[in-house]
Amino acid sequence: MIVVENLSKRFGATHAVQDISFQVQKGEILGFLGPNGAGKTTTMRILAGSLGATAGTATIGGLDVAQHPRQVKRRLGYLPEAPPLYRDMTVGGYVRFAARIKGVQEVEAATEKVMERVGLTEMRQRLVGHLSKGFQQRAGLAQALVHEPEVLVLDEPTSGLDPAQRKEIRDLIRNLAAGERTVILSTHVLPEVDDLCERVIIIDRGRIAAMDSIEKLAQAQRLVRLQVGRPSDALLRALEQVPGVSAAEQLAEGSYALRTNRDARADIARAAAPYDLLELAGRERLEDIYLRLTGSQGAAAAQDGAQPGEAE
Amino acid sequence: MTMRNILTVAQREFAHYLATPIGWLVLCAFLIITGLFFSLQTGWYATEAVQASFNPYQEPVDLGAHLIAPFFGDVSVILLMLCPALSMRLFAEDRRQRSLELLLTSPLSTAEIVLGKYLGGMLFVTLMLTGTLLYPLLLAWFGDPDPGVVLCSYLAVFLQVSSFMAVGMLASAFTESQMVALVSSFALLLAFWIASWAGAVASGTLGEVLAYVSMLPHTEQLGKGIIHSKDFVYYLSFVSFALFATHQRVEAYRWE
Repeated sequence: MIVVENLSKRFGATHAVQDISFQVQKGEILGFLGPNGAGKTTTMRILAGSLGATAGTATIGGLDVAQHPRQVKRRLGYLPEAPPLYRDMTVGGYVRFAARIKGVQEVEAATEKVMERVGLTEMRQRLVGHLSKGFQQRAGLAQALVHEPEVLVLDEPTSGLDPAQRKEIRDLIRNLAAGERTVILSTHVLPEVDDLCERVIIIDRGRIAAMDSIEKLAQAQRLVRLQVGRPSDALLRALEQVPGVSAAEQLAEGSYALRTNRDARADIARAAAPYDLLELAGRERLEDIYLRLTGSQGAAAAQDGAQPGEAE
Repeated sequence: MTMRNILTVAQREFAHYLATPIGWLVLCAFLIITGLFFSLQTGWYATEAVQASFNPYQEPVDLGAHLIAPFFGDVSVILLMLCPALSMRLFAEDRRQRSLELLLTSPLSTAEIVLGKYLGGMLFVTLMLTGTLLYPLLLAWFGDPDPGVVLCSYLAVFLQVSSFMAVGMLASAFTESQMVALVSSFALLLAFWIASWAGAVASGTLGEVLAYVSMLPHTEQLGKGIIHSKDFVYYLSFVSFALFATHQRVEAYRWE
């Protein structure tokens, strides 16, 4: 459905995106992960047609975004990080306007349907500028959905929302994708990717650092964490002796991390049993993969609140 | 490019003026100031007419040249000052509040966006101008104004306003700050307005060029009811150039 080939974007001397290639199948939810300024927003804006690429191509449903912008935009819904709202309009008026400029034929029916879907029907008469952040995000989603696009590009759809609102938006996205829709979403919230996406692309400094299903990413280099009740140096030595363990280190009092090149969990459990094994986790958390691939620099950048758009 | 898309964008822009204080403020200011100037001009005209009636050798004072022309001259200057306050938001506001992204990622062409916004602004100014229809009607009630002169005066003001709004929109496309758009479009318009004064001082080719680019001389004749195609060519090319430049500027958003 979406094919991106050797896409690059330069802003002056800075390379926002460098030689990125990936594909997304129809009906798939793809997660875009990466620190701020890594190039997620840039890539999404190129797909949505509000930014031109310096080199490379992006096609949606076989149509090049630069060659056939109109046709592509009819099939694509885009929610930027800051929802593109007209604060002086009523919610109903805003959604109706979005429907019209997106070339919807049955404007009233489409408006009603999408407001129902994102839960804005009650807010119809309210001014967009008076809505809470969660409802504004829904209005932004309504705009992206009103023309029933086959492809949805959502840039941090849950940023700035409280946990309950986050869950609502997440459920909404999951329902949307269930209907044969292809979704690309970027986020900082790692459990969200874990929860929603089948596949992730980790992007760092304009390049793809990793691209695979979360399962496979986690297995590529299996990290085993364990927690014991009675830590000792003898345990560390014992763990290093376990066949398949390539490195072992103590993270904190009683907490160990092991790198393994095979599934050695059973042996590790036996070796740790005499020291009161409390917990053994065989799957690397997405957060660890993310931090490992983007480096600590990226992790620091992910903490500050800088907007990706500004860094570019 | 479809008319439907242009009208959709225009309708939103027009509705915005009615939904926000700035639109009403400009409308009210315009009506109050033009009302003031109309009563002043009628007062002066009445004095002149009374004086003339005592002088048997003087011809009656012409309504067109002594009341309608100066009044519409006032209207143009008022609009020169007020139009930048309407045009300043056309692109600057959309960019600042990030709503331009909605237009740019919708299946609209840049030309549709630019023309739609321009049309929306022009519709509102036209609404403002219809408010002044009261004065020619009053004149027709009490006197005998030449309808041709009134019509040509409106045409002249409309041509001027078209260029005011086009320049204002161009200025608005260059900045995210409405204040910068307001000041720069006002400065630009004023320069174009009074270029003929500088042209009168400068000699040779420079003087001719300045006199040609200036807006004032191109409506003098029209205000008297004399239609020259060169005046239309001037305003038409002026507006087309500003719209084209805006179009190019908006296209460039996709590269920054």
